[in-house]
Amino acid sequence: MSFFMPGDKKLGVSTGKRRYDLPLNKGAGTGFLILLIALMTFLGVMALAGSFALGSMAHHWSSGLENKMTIEIPADNGDRDIRDRAQIEVLSDKINDALSAKNYIRSVHVLSQEEIHDLIAPWLGEEAGNMPDMPLPGLISVDMITVNPRLMEEMQTEIGAIAPNIVLDRHESWLGDILRLTGALQFATIFITLMIGATTIIAIAGAVKSRIAIHRKDVELLHLMGASDRYISRQFQRHALILALQGAVAGTIGGALILVGISFFAGDTASALLPEFTLNMVHIFTLILLPAFACMIAAVTAKFTVLRELALMP
Amino acid sequence: MIKFEHVGLRYGVGPEVLSDVNFILEPGSFHFLTGPSGAGKTSLMNLMYLGRKPTRGLITMFDQNINEMERARLAKIRRRIGVVFQEFRLLPHLSAFDNVALPLRILGRPEREIRNNVNELLEWVGLGDYMKALPLTLSGGQQQRVAIARAVIGRPKLLLADEPTGNLDDEIGLRLMNLFDQLHRMGTTIVIATHSQHMMDKFEHPRMVLGDGTLKIEAPKSWIQKKIKGVF
Repeated sequence: MSFFMPGDKKLGVSTGKRRYDLPLNKGAGTGFLILLIALMTFLGVMALAGSFALGSMAHHWSSGLENKMTIEIPADNGDRDIRDRAQIEVLSDKINDALSAKNYIRSVHVLSQEEIHDLIAPWLGEEAGNMPDMPLPGLISVDMITVNPRLMEEMQTEIGAIAPNIVLDRHESWLGDILRLTGALQFATIFITLMIGATTIIAIAGAVKSRIAIHRKDVELLHLMGASDRYISRQFQRHALILALQGAVAGTIGGALILVGISFFAGDTASALLPEFTLNMVHIFTLILLPAFACMIAAVTAKFTVLRELALMP
Repeated sequence: MIKFEHVGLRYGVGPEVLSDVNFILEPGSFHFLTGPSGAGKTSLMNLMYLGRKPTRGLITMFDQNINEMERARLAKIRRRIGVVFQEFRLLPHLSAFDNVALPLRILGRPEREIRNNVNELLEWVGLGDYMKALPLTLSGGQQQRVAIARAVIGRPKLLLADEPTGNLDDEIGLRLMNLFDQLHRMGTTIVIATHSQHMMDKFEHPRMVLGDGTLKIEAPKSWIQKKIKGVF
């Protein structure tokens, strides 16, 4: 790649090997185009990073919970009586014994009072778990080797025999909604990224058209001297490429700094519900490729815009 | 070399500027193109350097039908034509050297060859000290010489010049006409649009006279029969 030969810094001036016939960098709007591409790339980085983060979250939630379920022994026994902690412990043990023997269950874990306290503390306060009269349900986390409707039915029957109002929660109801929501958000971010790309194309095409209008006489002269369409378009292409590279690198660095900032601050404050905001190597590589992609869009757009304008000449 | 058959040209919906123009220019011929102001000299030159397509008629250049030619081939034909525009049309941001070098660069010639040829030619037209000068810093005559040097640097097969010596003093004008003559002897076909009766008298070449949108060739009959097969 020789786009940054010293001669490039002096567009319109012949210097040894690299040369421009048209003074494309001399005129209003060059800085604006760089800024525009920088902003578009920045927005692209943010939108893509958002899409990747949502994808990671959805994957994290679904993969973490797909073989897991929670058995809840309600504090209310169904006859308007409150089960005390001892009764709940007895029921928990029975369920533990019944399920541990099953070959399709990897592990059964009865949550201790401390663990339940940790779960409710963010909602009801630190003292909630320490109040002896506070009715709390019993919770059992079950990790299954495989899940299918027949096994679920078998488990439900088994647990129902121990106590009729015990709830088997597969997290499907809320997990399905959340996954649908994250899917929709992910689609929206991809759509926004595409819109950003389309806007960039329109902006570059407009800038190139205006450059052709400014230098129309010079372009016509080159055309009349026998310069091929490719010869002329290459000059605009190279110019657009250099501007796009400058803007895209600035935009990507800006976006990366913001992402590092978000990662730094969100890392400490993320709740248990939200997985850590991290990007894997593929995501990082894709974001690094964004400037190259922006340059490609710029060069191709410039090329086809110039070719279309030249086609109007005899 | 060049053949115009029933060629007409109009701009937009206006009247025909050129109507039923017919002529043949043999390879290596030298013609003056003359006629009153507004007769269509520049329009005819425009058609000859492929700056426009005719509204009607057939143009053949270098034995190829221009009307049906694709863009890429038209560009190749244009590279064989050198043009000196009346208003010079130098690129203002390029030095005299780079303006003259432009046709060679379009042809993709090596930089060393370009440097040697351009230096030599600019020296020859008396601009050896102005190679790095931008056109705006040059006088009208100097700009014209740069324009002429640019037109001839690529050794074109056809040289079209619109009032090429208009801004030059007699000595330089004569020198450049001698350059054209030299190119002519080397086989270049030359058409010079001019009002200068003096120049046409001094260099005895046939004249293409435009008037009322049509073209006539004026020269001794014996010379015309020998050199030009025109359709009147």
